[in-house]
Amino acid sequence: MSVQLHEWTAALYLLAGIAAWLGLALRSRQLERVSVLILGAGAVLNVAAFAMLHQLDPPPPLTDLPTAVSFTTCVGAVFFLILLGWSKLAGLTVLVAPVAFVSAFYAALEIPHAAAPVAEASAPWAHAHVMLASAGLACLGMSGMAGLLFLVEHRRIKAKRPLDFRFSLPSLEALDRVNRASVAVGFPLLTLGFVTGLLWVHAVYGTWIAGGRHEAWLALAWIVYAVLIGVRFALRQGARSAALSAVVAFGFLAFAVIGVGISS
Amino acid sequence: MKILLLGMSHRTAPLELRERLAMGDPAQSLRDLVACEEIGEAVVFSTCNRFEVVAATGSPAAARQRLRAFLNRDLGADSGDLTEHVYEHTDGAAVRHVLRVASSLDSMVVGESQILGQTKDAWQRSVDCGASGPLLGRLFQHAFSTAKRVRTETKVGERPVSVARVAVDLAKQIFEDLAGKQALLVGAGEMIEASLEALRNAGLDAVRVANRTPERAVDLAARFAATAHGLDELPELLKRSDVVLTCLASPRPIVTPEVIGKSRRRGPLFVIDIGVPRNVDSSIGEIDDVYLYDIDDLSSVAEENSEKRRRETADAEAIVDEECGRFDGWLAALRAVPTIRELRENAETLRAAEVERALRRPEFDGASPEAIEQLTRAIVNKILHAPVSRLRREAESESDASCLEAARVLFALDDAAAGAEEE
Repeated sequence: MSVQLHEWTAALYLLAGIAAWLGLALRSRQLERVSVLILGAGAVLNVAAFAMLHQLDPPPPLTDLPTAVSFTTCVGAVFFLILLGWSKLAGLTVLVAPVAFVSAFYAALEIPHAAAPVAEASAPWAHAHVMLASAGLACLGMSGMAGLLFLVEHRRIKAKRPLDFRFSLPSLEALDRVNRASVAVGFPLLTLGFVTGLLWVHAVYGTWIAGGRHEAWLALAWIVYAVLIGVRFALRQGARSAALSAVVAFGFLAFAVIGVGISS
Repeated sequence: MKILLLGMSHRTAPLELRERLAMGDPAQSLRDLVACEEIGEAVVFSTCNRFEVVAATGSPAAARQRLRAFLNRDLGADSGDLTEHVYEHTDGAAVRHVLRVASSLDSMVVGESQILGQTKDAWQRSVDCGASGPLLGRLFQHAFSTAKRVRTETKVGERPVSVARVAVDLAKQIFEDLAGKQALLVGAGEMIEASLEALRNAGLDAVRVANRTPERAVDLAARFAATAHGLDELPELLKRSDVVLTCLASPRPIVTPEVIGKSRRRGPLFVIDIGVPRNVDSSIGEIDDVYLYDIDDLSSVAEENSEKRRRETADAEAIVDEECGRFDGWLAALRAVPTIRELRENAETLRAAEVERALRRPEFDGASPEAIEQLTRAIVNKILHAPVSRLRREAESESDASCLEAARVLFALDDAAAGAEEE
């Protein structure tokens, strides 16, 4: 049942992406609204699909990559819907929906997955680590996407190019607000994820550092974000450089979590 | 009744001539027009780009002469001047013209939105003067609904084509919501006034006007509920502004990187420079959060939008065609109205006479007259329903009048009319 729900979730995200891109190309507000509604339906199904994972025998641990991806997608979609109520962001669906589709599709393909069980003593820390780090990743991913769209729009407005898509894309100010809010929410979650990760390592190995590449890259990613936060909030960084930093930092984090995580 | 339209517009008459024809309140002229025997209904439409009279008339030739005389004499233009500038449309062509004008397809700036309001005002004025009637009433209501269709179903009015509107549209791409944003307008000329109006309409509520001569700024600010300032306050005003619009006669830029640098605060700044020579040093466009557009940038966007609007008029013309067809159908259906009315009156006369005679007979003693009235009316209505519907349909389809003639013969309407006249 959970697998089917994941498949349906991926299909809805795909539909939302198609509707969003069509809305952008045809400058149709109606299609834009439809894409948001479909994305909302996808998010509801995603929550159900994730909850249904517990029905599997045995239920996959959260440390299992497809399960973690399903959770991250779920948090990302819900976070985006919350942001939509706060800011005029419907146009961002053109990026959010395809990314959500790819993640949900991967989860649908890989679940059920033969995962190594987690030692009982360290299980609470492992689950807390994955949940917090995944939620942080989802929020910071949102900041990366908002940053990317900001850079595209900023470049277009500066270059005084024709304004064919003007009714569909979010304003620069809205993208900057989302970028700021996503980093402000995502970084504390990432930090907590990092701390619980240390506690998990300690529970398993009796030491704070296991010496893996994944840990080292994650620590570097955390430092990058810490610097970014400092520059952004303490040194009053401009919107364009903040957008650029968000894109670069998320690229680094994605590499540390997914790239290095998978290979190690 | 025929529909007749005479007028001149930016397409046929130079500005000087249109100025002579522009009238503030054409109420008296409207009353004079409908007081003439040959004109039944009239609407006078007067804007800076057109002057037109639409009339419903039973005698088109006489009405045409009257309207030409109205244009030549009553409005003070010299006779002979106007002949080559005046266009004339009748019936279908007049209907099409009114629909195109209301839909802004005949405007100087195609798709501009003011024309519909002006058409409604002209119509309302005619109603107030008692110069309008059912035919023009229907025509103008139809024109309003056509204009609404054109606006909602096509993209003709979507792209801004004035510099002020383009500036507002650009501001919306930078700022999430213009309400709560602060604007600074440097100068007090016509362009600033137009921009101020556009910014106010877009929801910007805090507006400051700075000018070299503060008196003019005060005057403009008072009209738009803004605040007036001198140019010496520029650095301080820039510090508080999100949108800056300049149009000042100045040989040198007045907004320079130094002035902006001193007063920069966090957040984007949208600068629109429509002054010639330019009022803003172009190098400030290189600052990350500053978005600078000059008059050439805005004009090229406006011109491009204008061209796109023109290309998108095909859809709007198709709607106008469709609506013209509908109105023609309604107009044609009017031909059947006298016949249908006579048919109903004839049937009613026969019914009433038969009921009266029946009620005098002893077999109907004790019968309820109301029930008999109701019963016979229902029978007559049912019998007439099919022929009346068919007559309407035939008239709307504008086929020949054989159906109407057949009805008159079969129901002996002409005999009945002759009999009534004899009586």
